[in-house]
Formats: sequence, structure tokens, C-alpha cells
Amino acid sequence: MARMKFICDAERCIECNGCVTACKNEHDVPWGVNRRRVVTLNDGIVGAERSISVACMHCSDAPCQAVCPVNCFYKTEDGVVLHDKDLCIGCGYCFYACPFGAPQFPQAGAFGLRGKMDKCTFCAGGPEKDGSKAEIEKYGRNRLSEGKLPACAEMCSTKALLAGDGDVLSDIYRERVMRRGRGGDLWGHATAYGRPDTKATAPAVQSIPQKS
Amino acid sequence: MKHLIACLSALLLACAVNAQQSSGPALPKDELIKQQQQRVVTQPYNNAPFWKEARGAVEGYASIPAPEAGVLIQDGGQNWRALRNGTFSIIGGWALVAMMLLIGGFYAWKGTIQLHEAPTGRLIERFTLLERMAHWATAISFSVLAISGLILAFGKALLIPVISFTLFSWLAIIAKNLHNFLGPLFIISCIVTFCVFLRDNWPKAVDFKWLVSFGGLINGKHVPSEKFNAGEKLWFWGGLMLLGIVVGASGLVLNFPNFGQTRATMQLANLVHLTGAVMFMLGAMGHIYMGTLGMAGALDAMKTGVVDEAWAKEHHELWYDDVKSGKVPANRSENGGNAGAGTQQPVAVGGNN
Repeated sequence: MARMKFICDAERCIECNGCVTACKNEHDVPWGVNRRRVVTLNDGIVGAERSISVACMHCSDAPCQAVCPVNCFYKTEDGVVLHDKDLCIGCGYCFYACPFGAPQFPQAGAFGLRGKMDKCTFCAGGPEKDGSKAEIEKYGRNRLSEGKLPACAEMCSTKALLAGDGDVLSDIYRERVMRRGRGGDLWGHATAYGRPDTKATAPAVQSIPQKS
Repeated sequence: MKHLIACLSALLLACAVNAQQSSGPALPKDELIKQQQQRVVTQPYNNAPFWKEARGAVEGYASIPAPEAGVLIQDGGQNWRALRNGTFSIIGGWALVAMMLLIGGFYAWKGTIQLHEAPTGRLIERFTLLERMAHWATAISFSVLAISGLILAFGKALLIPVISFTLFSWLAIIAKNLHNFLGPLFIISCIVTFCVFLRDNWPKAVDFKWLVSFGGLINGKHVPSEKFNAGEKLWFWGGLMLLGIVVGASGLVLNFPNFGQTRATMQLANLVHLTGAVMFMLGAMGHIYMGTLGMAGALDAMKTGVVDEAWAKEHHELWYDDVKSGKVPANRSENGGNAGAGTQQPVAVGGNN
């Protein structure tokens, strides 16, 4: 049985936000709710800037599930963490517990009153019947049931973001690390922003002579 | 008291854990950035310093205008989860059970404390209408908050196995909304109650004598007290005021998440709220017991506002003496001695039409 995982390659992510857009579009995610986001650390600092796309990581020991007062979370046999919006009371505890900031709450009233929690479903919908209208309205599309992988990873232009069975992802990533810096490494951070180890492709800002 | 100390030490532990976690990465951010810049030259594709930074809850850039959108990993939630699901729920839950058993045992031992002398039939006004209204507004909102809070905290373990998911979810939605909307009302009624009862709760030297012998409750020896005895004053200052501030302030942090407070703040606020609420409930259980089952005549005083002279003499002798000597009017509503407007006042104020 597969164990579904995401992996984001920091050497390839170019912060294009294609994954964020793909997710928003695929599931008609409402304004103010972001199932996926791209975080850039050390923005603008040459050599130290890297970006990572982050969403629900579908933890084995999910903190959200552990603290939910109504026990609305469940795991599919593919290891995807899903929740039942009919049971959710919008208390926000999953949001306190999650290290990745995955649980999102649409504002349901004044003073930040929380509505039912919404988060990345690994494009696996919810407890409703696969592909039903109710499922699409509450959780978005169920691509997994159609044999497709999550839209964010499918859309990723540099294949930084990968989604699928953990074993397959590990093999892809391992091979990628082995070959990195040679021949086939055409995509990603280094292509977009320059290879730090060669002068020819060093970022333009470094070659501007200092005025004395 | 033992439970209070246990809860307090657990809270201190939580604060310590929280302080540790907010200390951030082992190395300062600038140092990690410098290391990463060197690393891409000496060991290309090794981003260990970057990942150390990501692990240390450093806030980066994200195009989403939400609080902490730029934080990749905030690991305080794991501590919060462990403390909330473990230490706090276990100590808090069993403290409440122990208090219930303690009160049950005390009732079995002492029963309802009856008046020793026959009622005289002469009545003294103990609480004006305003005082009673302030008290009951606080008492009712407190009870609803306590019950809804207990449902949210312990329902998963105790109620879901009995009534299953759907029904419990309905109950929890009602509990959450009652809790969120009554919270601010409870704070307001606490403030009003505090102002109304402040004058009679001012600590005096005589209160220490009462405290030392626990009001003669154990050895049966009589200790005179003012309008409010030291136990009531302790509940006023320690419960209504101190716990009111602790539980109220932490509750507001959680109730209004629209002011950009971070998860670390809310995790700490939740633990403070749990601790304060359990202590509040422990105190309230004692207070409710003494005001209803524990002592004859106490509930009537808060219901009708008046007590018999015999009751006043037996339980609040110094107050009784003040009333007898005329220092305190026997009927404050009619004499207009207090800020509250009593129903007994026969004259209509400001008649229109």
C-alpha cells in the first residue's frame, strides 16, 4: 500500500507560486484560505535564498488529529490525513498544534469567528462519495480517486514539488541528488538564479563593481 | 489547595517550556545566513544551514498576507499538544473529580449546617437587587462556560464513546458558540460584581483569625466574621478578581484571533486558560456547595436578598452588630444607602407620561 507524501526540492523551487495557483484553481478555494503557500527564507540575500512550497504534510502522528475535540480527522489507507467538515466545530485547536500552518479557517462572522477548517486534502477529497457534488463543494476535487496525483505537484514547472508514494519519491530524489550539478540539471534554482560555483553564471548583482 | 499548587507548578513548567522553544535556532539567523553563503561555494547543494534556519521558526517571505505565513515550521504546537492532551488534562480532570469526592465526603460527614437558634422572624437585608443581579449574571454565565468548557475539553474521551460523533459534534458546536459568546459577558459581569461587592470584601485583621481556624468549620468553634467571612473574601480576591483576570485575559486572546496574535501566544494562552479555568471550577464547587447544600439559609439570602437576624448573628456576628448599632442600615434599598435601586423602594423615580 502506498504512503502518500510531498517533497519539495529546495534546489529547484523558483518561487513561481504555480503550485499555489494550481491548488486554488483546482479546488475553488475561497478567498482568504490558502491550502498551499510558498515560503522564501533569506529573500534577496545572494547565495542564502531558498524557497519551499508547504502545505499539509499528512503526518503519520498528526498533531491536528490528536488535539481535535470532536475527533473529525481520519487517515486514508494511503496515509492521507483528511477531516470531516460536518463534524468540525471551528475551534482552531488543529491550527495551534500544526507546525506547518496547514489548517485554514474561513472567517464566519465578526471578530475572526472561525468557520469550518479547510486544508490540503492531497487532492483526495473527504468522507463524501468520491467525486460527488457534496465532496467537490466541501473539499474540492478528488483527483486521487481518478488515478491522478495532486494538482500542485503536477503543475510544478521545475518539478521541485513532488507528490506520490514515499518510496517512489525517495528513489527520484536520491537519483536527483546523485546527478546534481551535472548534465541533466537543467531546471531549478541554479538555472534561474545562477550557479554559485562558477563565475560565468554568478548572479548579476555580484559582478557590479563597487564604487569607491 | 494541593491541586491548586499542582496546577500552578504545571503552569510554570509550561511557561518554561514555552520560553525555551521561543529562543529560536541555536545559532543567530545572521550566522546561519553567512554559513549558507559559504556552503554553496564550498559544498554546492548542501543546504544544511538553510534547513537549520527553517527549523528555528525564522519568518521568511510569503506572498500571502496572513500572520506567520512566512514561518515554515513552528514547533511549539508539539509542546502544547503534549501538555494539553497529557499533563493539563490529567491533573485538571482528576483535580475536579477529587474535589467532587472531597465535597461529597464532607457532606456525608457534616451534612447541611443548620441554625443553632430558632429564627426570630425579623429580617435584615443582606443583598440589594443590584447585588443579586450582578451575582446571578456572573453565576449563570460561569456555569454555562464551565459546562461548555468541560464538554470541549473532555467530551472526546467521555462523551464520544457514548453518543458517537455526529451527536457530539452538534453538542460541541453549541458548546463552542455559547463559550465564545458568553465569555465576554462573563468578564463584564465579573467587573460589575467586583465593583458592587468591593467595599464589604476589604481585608481586615479579623479575617486572619478566621482563616487560621478555617472558620471553625473543622473544630466547630465559633469565629466571628464581618458581612463576608475570610473564606468569602478569599473567593472574592483570589477567584473573582485574580482568576477572573487570568481566565478572562487568556480567553480574549483565544476568542478574538483577528488581532494578528501568533500561534505561540495562543498556545500559551490556552494552557493559562485551562489552568485558570480548572482552579476557578475547583473554587466554584466549594462556593456553590457552601451556598446551597452546605449551609441552610445561604441560598435564600442570594435568592430573596434578606436573612433572618438569627442567621446573621450566627454566621456574620460583626456585621450583625453593625446592623444592630445602626452603623449599617438594616434595609439599604429603602434608605438608599447603596448604589443599587431596590425593588422594595416604593417611590417611582422620574415618572413619565
